Amino acid sequence: MAKHHGRGFATIEYPTGMNQNGDPSQAWIKLKPDGRVDVFSGTVDIGQGSKTVHTQIVADALGVPYDWVTMDNTNTDSSAVCTGTFASRGTFIGGNAVRLAAEKVRERILDIASKELEIDPSDLDIEDGEVIARGAPQKKINVADVAGAATYNYGELISGSSTALKPFADVDDATGQVEIEPHSAISYAACVADVEVDDETGEVVVQKLVQVYDVGRAINPTLVEGQIEGGAIMGLGLGLLENSYPYYPSVKHRGGQFGAYLAPALRDMPEIDNVIIENPSADGPFGAKAIGEMANNAQPPAIANAIFDAVGVWLTEMPATPDRVLEALAAKREPTRDGKRVVFDEHLSLKAVSANQGEGFFGVEA
Amino acid sequence: MNLIVNGSEVEIVSPPLTPLLHVLRDELDITGPKAGCQQGGCGTCTVLIDGEPRRSCLTAVAAVDGASITTIEGVGQAEELSAVQAAFYKHYAAQCGFCTPGMVLAATALIERKGGPVERDEVLEALGGHYCRCTGYVKIIDAVMAASRGEVDSVDDLPVPEPGQPEVLPKGSPA
Ligand code: FES
Ligand code: FES
Repeated sequence: MAKHHGRGFATIEYPTGMNQNGDPSQAWIKLKPDGRVDVFSGTVDIGQGSKTVHTQIVADALGVPYDWVTMDNTNTDSSAVCTGTFASRGTFIGGNAVRLAAEKVRERILDIASKELEIDPSDLDIEDGEVIARGAPQKKINVADVAGAATYNYGELISGSSTALKPFADVDDATGQVEIEPHSAISYAACVADVEVDDETGEVVVQKLVQVYDVGRAINPTLVEGQIEGGAIMGLGLGLLENSYPYYPSVKHRGGQFGAYLAPALRDMPEIDNVIIENPSADGPFGAKAIGEMANNAQPPAIANAIFDAVGVWLTEMPATPDRVLEALAAKREPTRDGKRVVFDEHLSLKAVSANQGEGFFGVEA
Repeated sequence: MNLIVNGSEVEIVSPPLTPLLHVLRDELDITGPKAGCQQGGCGTCTVLIDGEPRRSCLTAVAAVDGASITTIEGVGQAEELSAVQAAFYKHYAAQCGFCTPGMVLAATALIERKGGPVERDEVLEALGGHYCRCTGYVKIIDAVMAASRGEVDSVDDLPVPEPGQPEVLPKGSPA
């Protein structure tokens, strides 16, 4: 009876957005006469920080300071359509919508600045709220003055709208098949888990989780780190504590009391380390991909692998509760089939303890 | 019954066994304490009763007649965040923010009690009964430890509400 240590890892690839026909997010941006920017988009921030990130995207795409931009994303009357905050689509699809709209606004700013400065728009840049002639930085005009001129001299409301959308594909009449492009962006990640397994009590403690995430481009590194850390701890919950109830609201598929449903608390926190990899996607805003949903997917299998490394049993059902660990350990010590003792064999044992008796499971040849 | 809520004395008309949480939220319109589980299990309803962090969902208002209650509304001001609030802001320790009022109050009481730098383990102990489902524990622990060491600069770039405005709006908000 002892404590055993093990290390396991898991990798994951994950698509961005729904990748179906449609799936739109829209944005509409207007410039007020003082150069301040109002953005109307429908992407709801549920704590992941999309409001901040979208504001950054607009500020960068326009070339104005961050605090000139106001994001109005919570008004269901005034906001543009967003399919929703799910499927890891906030930064990628919602972000593309605000980026594309901002690019149109930028074009209009440059056009009007070009009339004011009498310089071709292609020779102008916008930096930190000023339209500057490339190569002649003394020739410049503030975006606020451009917006004022648009409003009062040219009678124009500078605005731009856009939709990030996967266009509907044609159905091939002969075959009934639809050809859709592959996913717009795939994110990749790996997780390494270090665990300690007590073979007497069956208790598993996750001591360390290392997350390596390819995010395309970390538009806001602290916020994306928050998503990665949050996902890691949620993943720890799925690996060790939390049941999922896929057939909820069937009475057999719901938790009991709040207190009986365990979720990770501060005492369950392992040491956490994150590595953010920037491997830009061609289609994302500033190269960003999305990691919203994948952030908690790699930990449960990494933990299961670490448990195998520690005590040599595969848990094929999560969470790895003490009961399940002890059951698996008992089955390993004394493998039985139809009530008969069978000779222990490392490979055969995989089949004996697996949920479906190994049918098509690990592909181990008997 | 009377309570001193965030420094002002108020008379309470709710029935005596009403949970303090509902008195605050429904009778007094103080919505900082959040109704999470309402079974004592999550910590989002935490308020300070005479300086001690307590679960307002499990506290009958009659049991604290005359006590001094501090909610998140009574900690710091928009112009001048408390050290713990400033640390949460600087460390990005709030995601959706639902657990934040309870976390900040429990951390404030911990730092007050300790009167100096707190260790990681003390944070785990003091905030152990608070769920953050988002789950920002890493940054919350960092924020509390930094606040206890006085490492956090004051925050001066937050928007301040106009008199009569109900809440702090983001800079330049059209609303
Ligand atoms: S609402 Fe009081 S502890 Fe959850
Ligand atoms: S920030 Fe969302 S629950 Fe803690």
